Amino acid sequence: MDERAPSQTARRVVIGLGDAANLPEADELPTESMPLNMGPSHPAMHGTVRMVLEVDGEKIRSVDVQIGFLHRCFEKEAENATWTQIFPYTDRLNYVSPMLCNVGYALAVEKLLDIDGRIPERAQFIRVIVGEISRITDHLTCLAASAMELAAFTVFFYLMKAREWFWELLEEVSGARLTHSYVRIGGVVADLTDDFCPKLRDVLRRCRAAIADADKLLTGNRIFRDRMDGIAIITRDDAIGWGLTGPVGRSAGLDYDVRKDHPYLVYDRFDFDVPVGSKGDNFDRYAVRLEEMRQSMRILEQAMERLPAGPVLLDDARVALPPKREVYNTIESMIAHFKLIMDGIVVPPGEIYSFTEGGNGELGFYIVSDGTGQPWKCRVRPPCFANLAVLNKILPGLFIADIVPTFGMINMIGGECDR
Amino acid sequence: MAGEPQALPASRAKLKMVIDGKAHEFPAGLTILEACQRVGIAVPFFCWHPGLSAPAVCRQCLVEIKGFPKPIPSCYTLVADRMEIITNSPKVLDVRRQMLEFTLLNHPIDCPICDKAGECLLQKHYFDWDARLARNDGSKVRKAKVVDLGRHIVLDQERCILCTRCIRVCNEVARQADLVMAFRGDRQLLTTAPGKRLDNPYSLNTVDVCPVGALTAKDFRFSMRAWELWATPSVCPGCATGCNIEIHAARNRIRRLVPRLNPAVNKYWMCDEGRLSYKPVHQSRLAAPTVAGAPASWDAALAEAARLLAAARDKSPSTLGMVLSAQMTNEDLFAFSRLAGENLRIDRVYLTGAEQGWCDDILVSADKNPNTTGARLIGGPTLRSAADLKQDLEAGVVTALLVIGEANSVGPLDSLPILVVLAWHRDPPVSAASVALPLAMWAEVDGSFTNRQGKVQRLHAAVAPAGQSRPGWEIAVRLAEALGATWTYANARQVFSAVCEKATLMSGADWGKPEIPVQLRFANSRG
Repeated sequence: MDERAPSQTARRVVIGLGDAANLPEADELPTESMPLNMGPSHPAMHGTVRMVLEVDGEKIRSVDVQIGFLHRCFEKEAENATWTQIFPYTDRLNYVSPMLCNVGYALAVEKLLDIDGRIPERAQFIRVIVGEISRITDHLTCLAASAMELAAFTVFFYLMKAREWFWELLEEVSGARLTHSYVRIGGVVADLTDDFCPKLRDVLRRCRAAIADADKLLTGNRIFRDRMDGIAIITRDDAIGWGLTGPVGRSAGLDYDVRKDHPYLVYDRFDFDVPVGSKGDNFDRYAVRLEEMRQSMRILEQAMERLPAGPVLLDDARVALPPKREVYNTIESMIAHFKLIMDGIVVPPGEIYSFTEGGNGELGFYIVSDGTGQPWKCRVRPPCFANLAVLNKILPGLFIADIVPTFGMINMIGGECDR
Repeated sequence: MAGEPQALPASRAKLKMVIDGKAHEFPAGLTILEACQRVGIAVPFFCWHPGLSAPAVCRQCLVEIKGFPKPIPSCYTLVADRMEIITNSPKVLDVRRQMLEFTLLNHPIDCPICDKAGECLLQKHYFDWDARLARNDGSKVRKAKVVDLGRHIVLDQERCILCTRCIRVCNEVARQADLVMAFRGDRQLLTTAPGKRLDNPYSLNTVDVCPVGALTAKDFRFSMRAWELWATPSVCPGCATGCNIEIHAARNRIRRLVPRLNPAVNKYWMCDEGRLSYKPVHQSRLAAPTVAGAPASWDAALAEAARLLAAARDKSPSTLGMVLSAQMTNEDLFAFSRLAGENLRIDRVYLTGAEQGWCDDILVSADKNPNTTGARLIGGPTLRSAADLKQDLEAGVVTALLVIGEANSVGPLDSLPILVVLAWHRDPPVSAASVALPLAMWAEVDGSFTNRQGKVQRLHAAVAPAGQSRPGWEIAVRLAEALGATWTYANARQVFSAVCEKATLMSGADWGKPEIPVQLRFANSRG
């Protein structure tokens, strides 16, 4: 951009568009940079986040992404809650895929308790099923919102409707549409409903159609492609350097999926592919998410096929609440219930870093126990915290209008990023 | 004990033994249970208590001793040379679990309404050592739920696990055989001895030692869940013995006092009277300063008090007197003694306090003031008595008085032209006072008492001062300021250090570490 001061520039009056088009670039009207606030409350901001831009005309010179507007003291609250009381807080981390957060937290505590090898198989399958459903709802939300912001409102309705089918299913098993708190240390709180699998198969069929519609409406859409192709390119080296994981990392060519590279639960028993992008632009991030939903559906179908019978919660009164009938009728289970509720599960002293594939990438929990009923420290590695940071690098040089699809494809979730 | 007589080797001899495969050395005379506790090996127990004899009735502390055919109660068996003990073999764990199962068989499902829930040994041991589902679904043996045992105690016979700790407290601490076991088998129950009530002066200790919620204190019963209490270490203000206590408070109110171990003072115990000594902290407290009976701000009241005292001093210092109380902390006593000497030039300092009462040779002292020793030490030889004060008042020698603490024992003070009172309660002297200032009580301040043995013991603030009341030393500092002096005490600790410098008997005293109140919930079940 031309940075000459106005006084040094020869002034020319431009009359009409023809003249303007023929104007040599060096003779453009001189501009100076201007600060521009985007957010914290902005229609094209998925979470409550503020970007302080320095723009030169429409071009972004620098960007300062300011987070923390949704800070809820997750980590401090966790230090003052029993191990079980933390589940509702994890629901509110990534609130478009709460089940994945539930599972990630439970796995960390189970490892610390050294009961990870004893979790009933059915519970592990159910965790995979609800987790993959959550991954689909996460990606559906991301794509729907981004499409809407690029004026593809129809797609928004198609995908949001599909998300709602899944959430109805999760509501059926957990009692809550969004804040499920369904997972427990030792398994899950209740078994799937009787007709869950047939219903899920039906939803998958309809969701496939919805995704196919969205695919047709977007992938070949010139307006959409113009806003996505080649915009905000992240290289593989940058992805590694900035700690990018999940769809954002994979779209940049970083073939890393915790489910494949460090399998947990029963993920090593399923046949699924991990899509990887080649260019690392916005379109790759879109395409990776689209494909990941299809792969999640493959996992869901296999999991339903092989879902074993059996208990869904560890049979250990020191970890899991005994059945209510026992609690009300025997002193043994009454005491166990009382101790688990009032004192909390006694987790032996130690520390653990346990990580799973969340909706946005590697969701890690670093937990320290001092042997009491509450964590001494419960730190979260939120994937979109790292993913969001890279905006400072990739946005400068783009146009203001590019922020919308780029930010959408990073998929920052305030609850998870700010904790 | 396998019929073998226990030969005690010469004292101080170290016995070599093996516990769970590890070699240890212990002095003779220890029980196996105590030996295990010393090396950090957990062995559960119900009937054993460190302050009582061991009857080995609960069979919960069984361990294996190599060479013995059956598991042996560790609380009852003394350590011996070359003994090999196993505390965690499957057999030991299994017999303990079976004993717990027996204990739980007829235990009512009362946790949600039980006072002891949250600090119950039965809950703790079940969770730590058993944690299995019930195998019995039959009906339980029913017993009496509400038995009024005595002035302070209610018994729930169903909850009782028959450990006999309470019987031993009565026999061994209070030295009165008030409680007995009656009947046998699953009909066995705790009851009072024929013709007796549980009315000994140490009866509330039975509630502390009760491992379950069978014995409950009428004062505390149903008033608070144990896990919501915050414990602060302190000292009982009931008499000169100075039993070490924990103040259990919640929502800024004291809910109960329980004894805290101090082998040199009260061991594990305290008397019933002392337990109720927290009541005055929350009763008819003076909430705000008053001037001539009308509420006033602290600044106005202090200015008026200083003006009156200075006027009396300047007119004739010999007619000005100060009354201290043996219930004040050392810090307050010192601050006011300094005020009297340096700023008011008072030489008539009187010491009052609660009247003498009953005593015994166990814990209760006849002197019902917690800090007579400290007051005499700080007040020095010129300290006058309450009788002197009465005489001087009647003779009209004293016409202006600064009274700190409670002055009820002094008699009517209405006729005094100048009366400045620092009071805990709305006592009669308050209504007669020219200026009355609210004083924080022992449970609301950091400070120290010196007990009858000369031990300086720390108080820690457990609740916020009532109303606008302030600690005595702080009021002394502000009075001194109003009289034109500048003192530099910023907290009770600095006053304490000043006392230690001045009073030789306190020179070895230590302020100790700051104590943060602990919520009982996270101190885990204490039993």
